Amino acid sequence: MIELVNVKKVYNAGNPSEFSALNSVNLHIAGNRVTVLKGPSGSGKTTLLSIVGCMSRPSAGRVKLNGREITSLPERFLTDIRRKTFGFIFQQPNLIKGITVLDNVMLPAYPLGEKRSHLKIKAMKGLSELNIANKAASKVEWLSGGEAQRASIVRALINDPHIIIADEPTAHLDTKLSYRFMEIIEKFKSEGKTVIITSHDPLVYESSIVDSVVNLRDGQIEGEQA
Amino acid sequence: MRAWIEKQRYIIDFTISSLLRRKVKNFGLLALYTLIVFILASTMFFTYAIKKEASLILKSAPEIVVQKIVAGRHDLFPVNYIETIKNIRGVAAVESRLWGYYYDSLVSANYTLLTPPSNAGSADSVKSSATTTAVESASGDPQSTDASKPLFELNGAVLEPGTLIIGNGIARLRHIGKGDYMPFLTFDGKVMNLKIAGTLSSQSELVSSDLMLITEDDYRKLFGIDNSHVTDLTVVVNNPSEVAMVASKIKKRLPDARPIIRDEILRTYDSIFNWRGGMMIVIFSAAVLAFVIFAWDKASGLSAGERREIGILKAVGWETSDVIQMKFWEGAMISLAAFFTGVILAYIHVFFTGSIVFEPALKGWSNLYPHFELTPFVNLEQLTTLFFLTVVPYTVATIVPIWKAATIDPDSAMRFTGE
Ligand SMILES: Nc1ncnc2c1ncn2[C@@H]1O[C@H](COP(=O)(O)OP(=O)(O)O)[C@@H](O)[C@H]1O
Ligand SMILES: [Mg+2]
Repeated sequence: MIELVNVKKVYNAGNPSEFSALNSVNLHIAGNRVTVLKGPSGSGKTTLLSIVGCMSRPSAGRVKLNGREITSLPERFLTDIRRKTFGFIFQQPNLIKGITVLDNVMLPAYPLGEKRSHLKIKAMKGLSELNIANKAASKVEWLSGGEAQRASIVRALINDPHIIIADEPTAHLDTKLSYRFMEIIEKFKSEGKTVIITSHDPLVYESSIVDSVVNLRDGQIEGEQA
Repeated sequence: MRAWIEKQRYIIDFTISSLLRRKVKNFGLLALYTLIVFILASTMFFTYAIKKEASLILKSAPEIVVQKIVAGRHDLFPVNYIETIKNIRGVAAVESRLWGYYYDSLVSANYTLLTPPSNAGSADSVKSSATTTAVESASGDPQSTDASKPLFELNGAVLEPGTLIIGNGIARLRHIGKGDYMPFLTFDGKVMNLKIAGTLSSQSELVSSDLMLITEDDYRKLFGIDNSHVTDLTVVVNNPSEVAMVASKIKKRLPDARPIIRDEILRTYDSIFNWRGGMMIVIFSAAVLAFVIFAWDKASGLSAGERREIGILKAVGWETSDVIQMKFWEGAMISLAAFFTGVILAYIHVFFTGSIVFEPALKGWSNLYPHFELTPFVNLEQLTTLFFLTVVPYTVATIVPIWKAATIDPDSAMRFTGE
């Protein structure tokens, strides 16, 4: 499904502060599986995830999505692929304050110009699946941490992506909410979606739902485990 | 296409909610912007109104006015000069006028007293004299239909001995109206009470504001002028190209007469209006300068909150161009709202409140400062200019920081920490 060939990422290239966050990463991520990128803080997990999710470009190497080379596509196409293929769950909920939960959830669909009534139905359905439909009209600043994260998950799903990307999703959740999150992931998997998670939380990478764990250290893969 | 429209609607809705989220900042911005548009538009409306007044005066002014000069001073005009002038070739008509200024110490104002031309008191004669002038000025003037209207109308009031008709400015100043009496002090120190028969309405308050119409008899009694004298003459010339020639003939035949041709009067008015216009330009350029500074300030940065939001939008799948469209609508909405509010307020200000904000600066020249309520006139060209001076630069200014926004990578959203 996703293939990385010799991917490198250098930050601040040419500056004294030049930093190589990824060194020749080769990786294959299978479809309809849950993959965890594991590694200590600073090992390059977020960097790798943003490259996989078409959020940033590698400094060298190639990224293929369903066999199609996407590294060299112009921004417009990359954005288009990103919003149709990927759903992002960030470490922080990253909701926009001052507008309602419902508006936040619908945001990624705006550039697609879908009919409002359809979009609303879809958003409400997503919210009720994660049990926060009653918060649809609330402002986001009134949500608890768990509710905010669930709202951000609904937002990630609004354009019905095949691949869900989550960056340290349990970092700000207590144990109960973390288990709850893994249940949601299980549901995605049963719906045939591909899930990629970064985490150094055992609760995540030791979970039975996870199909493969990739160990990262200093921008390199240590070896794949089953 | 449908999707595009729907998308714009989403973006507009989102922009509105964004603007409302930063209420204090954006309302402050809107208020300042509206104020600037208000000043600019008021200046434009005012200058235009005053020019319009000037052009009305131009149309009704006689081609030649003849005064008598004694030792360089304006003196009473002997009636027996009239025949001499009538006999000059090219002269179509000569009319004598009786008019003068009267200082009212009660309100410290100068009135202009005037006897209606020839067969006194009839509104018709006023009309016909205005029409006579209009015939000459009609040549090649697209607005000549305007000129066929009389300079002022008597509102049906009939001027009889012992009565007078007053301009709106005087009525306002002294809080008097039809049926009231107005006392005058005559040349020999007696009090003369005249009853107000009505007020003047006019296309041009500038002309009629301080005007009083009284009968010839009353005028002569008030100022002590015998029947062999008038104040001055107006001369109608058939052929506009002969005006200068007629004027020089008058001067030759009557050495103590001073013919003043319309162009000279116009020059005087022009300098008055230009002085005022000049002052307005100072206000105008100050406002433009303020606007430029303000737009520049607005253009020069995105707040941390805005950067963060743009990062999130890009991360969830908005393109740079979507963000630009959002910023465009933001600029367009603020500037259109400010533009229309400012223009409407300025319209009310200039045409309904008599430029109350500018009044202190303008009032100096007369206690009977006219209200320009009567000629609300919107010049499309000026509005367009104003539009391009304000809405366009502002909208552009809001889009500019987008080149900075474009450098916000979508993955920056992954690195936001804390709230
Ligand atoms: N924009 C950037 N500029 C410079 N260095 C960066 C930038 N982003 C990340 N890094 C560095 O790259 C390394 C890997 O970062 P990251 O991918 O966030 O690691 P992880 O997610 O595993 O903690 C870190 O040392 C970090 O400091
Ligand atoms: Mg990270």
